[in-house]
Amino acid sequence: MTEPGSCDNLLKAAFPVIVQGDAICGESSHFLVPKNLLPAITRYLHTQPSLRGRLTLIWTCDHRPVRDTYGLHYLFTLETSHHWVLLSSELAGNDRHFPSITPHVHAAKWYEREIRDMFGLIPEGHPDLRRLVRHEHWPKGTHPLRKDFPWNRVLGQQQGEYHFRRIEGEGVFEVPVGPIHAGIIESGHFRFSVAGEPIMQLELRHFWKHRGVEKLFEEQTLIGAVPLAERVSGDTTVGHSLAYCQAVETLLDLQVPRRARYLRALFLELERLYNHLGDIGAMCNDTAYALAHAHCGRMKERIMQLNDRLTGSRFLRNVIRVGGVTRNIENRQLTALVDELNRIQPDFSEVGAIIFANASLTDRLEATGVLDQQTAWDHAVMGVVGRASGIDCDLRRDRPFAAYDELPVNVALYRYGDVRARLRVRGDEIHESIRLIREIRAKIPDGPVANETSCSPKPGDWTLSAVEGWRGEILYMVMAGEDGRIHRCKVRDPSFVNWPAIQWAVPGNIIPDFPLINKSFNLSYAGNDL
Amino acid sequence: MFRIIKKSLKIGVVTGQYRGEEKPLLPVIPEAKEKATLFKRSLAIREVDTGSCNACEMEMNALLNPVYDVERFGIHIAASPRHADALVVTGPVTVNMERALKDVHKQTPDPKIVIALGDCAIDCGMFKGSYAVTGPVERHIPVDIRIPGCPPRPAEILNALSELRKPTV
Repeated sequence: MTEPGSCDNLLKAAFPVIVQGDAICGESSHFLVPKNLLPAITRYLHTQPSLRGRLTLIWTCDHRPVRDTYGLHYLFTLETSHHWVLLSSELAGNDRHFPSITPHVHAAKWYEREIRDMFGLIPEGHPDLRRLVRHEHWPKGTHPLRKDFPWNRVLGQQQGEYHFRRIEGEGVFEVPVGPIHAGIIESGHFRFSVAGEPIMQLELRHFWKHRGVEKLFEEQTLIGAVPLAERVSGDTTVGHSLAYCQAVETLLDLQVPRRARYLRALFLELERLYNHLGDIGAMCNDTAYALAHAHCGRMKERIMQLNDRLTGSRFLRNVIRVGGVTRNIENRQLTALVDELNRIQPDFSEVGAIIFANASLTDRLEATGVLDQQTAWDHAVMGVVGRASGIDCDLRRDRPFAAYDELPVNVALYRYGDVRARLRVRGDEIHESIRLIREIRAKIPDGPVANETSCSPKPGDWTLSAVEGWRGEILYMVMAGEDGRIHRCKVRDPSFVNWPAIQWAVPGNIIPDFPLINKSFNLSYAGNDL
Repeated sequence: MFRIIKKSLKIGVVTGQYRGEEKPLLPVIPEAKEKATLFKRSLAIREVDTGSCNACEMEMNALLNPVYDVERFGIHIAASPRHADALVVTGPVTVNMERALKDVHKQTPDPKIVIALGDCAIDCGMFKGSYAVTGPVERHIPVDIRIPGCPPRPAEILNALSELRKPTV
């Protein structure tokens, strides 16, 4: 049951009223769906054993001033074929209500709350309609992504209080943590309910760092918005700028030269390397094993200095551009890079051996923060966290982009879903990235590194793009506006999906283990809050 | 144990292996140095993120790795603003973080130094004017030192911090 056509037929047989729309971007099916059928169809897609669709993205678009409608779009990825199924619906005129799919598809929970905050559309039947992005002090009726909301409006203030889920009973108490944390970490609030040592419940309160990124995109041109995409989440500079550029290139019908596609893959792997090295060190540090932290910090610094020498930026900023890459990396530089990585790899293997030979360390890692496969599936978790919980997905293999169609990737997969599994996934991916960079060096063709175009897309054209960043799937939906501007840009960092799942990995653990679990997820607050 | 010792001997000392010639792009003003003399040879820093893209945090973290090893200069990161001599603020101040920033500033005992780290903290960078951003750090609390860059390299941060601790005159 993996043929794309068969999925279309199944859906059409089950729901004769739906209409097949134009296919968008690569392997995908597109259906126009009446809004009252949304819960039934999404439930069917999600639960039907031969389909098993994983909710990948929900986005809304305000079509004003062209049409007085809101578009609702639901993107699912089928489990075995990795085929995309997109369901679209519209709310016309003054209609502000749409049926919530959260009761059947848990993963939709935050998306629908976000839509309510940003557009003022109400998901009917949603079990939790508290504010998400807009904190309580935002005045009523402020919905920033509506077209009648100016991007630079100064917000007023109102009184209000966020009501956390409460557990009551003898000996139960709450521990608030954040938004400002004890280490050098980003801002976010965690509310623990504990009875004795073990955590009974964790509730997240995020979006402290909401900067209005999606609205700022609408003030940019298609070509000029790359620096903004780079700053969505600083540690995923390449992932975000690449996902954005790919979307724009599809809109402009612009081919990227082969050498540039290889260089893009190279930069993405370098980003994966330094982040994974840093994460492994930080996880060891949270078990108070400072030695491994120091070694990993040293290796991470080596790679960041390498980035600096190659491109002039430690974070690989200003490297990806629409149409290719901004600078060529000479073949002799690539050889020097591979030589350096050849020295780092045995260095890392030795540190890995030291880490796993330390019983007091592995004892902290094993069976801590378990996210089981079913919970991970229900919340549509992916990326490093998903692969540690047995969710076998990696866009580099499943929907190849950049040069990955010519570079087969071995995907690391572990089943136990504990901190140790997440550490092992990262360790394996470090070796895999170094192998990939060697392969890139061997296969990279000569030629130009960027193409130009003078054409501009039709207003209203839109496309989707997906990149496997080091955290997981990064998705961009870009819709062109008038004069080469952006009408709407939906950004989805993997953190937005994986944050709610952490709430299910924590109960039963003790509070001192929370920093370790959090570090093993290592999600971005900036990419989540936008 | 033998393995660990062998590894340490093989690697040797890596501290200081970075390009250190970067001078601070903005000079540290004498008033700030004057303030810092009180802290003598130690400086406890509290880092506050008010909406950065997390690259600045990463570079602050890099200061603690063995290559830069900021603690050799007596600078360390305090876990609470009440233990801090200096606040390092990154990112444009978002509407949601404005109150938290003011609270932290109030909680930090006087005298204190406020360091705005990165372009966003200095003038909001790319996020200037957004409905969700209320302005640069200095709009909310007085800023003593500015370290520009997007993000500034660790060597540049280290340079500014050591400038601060050089005696005036």
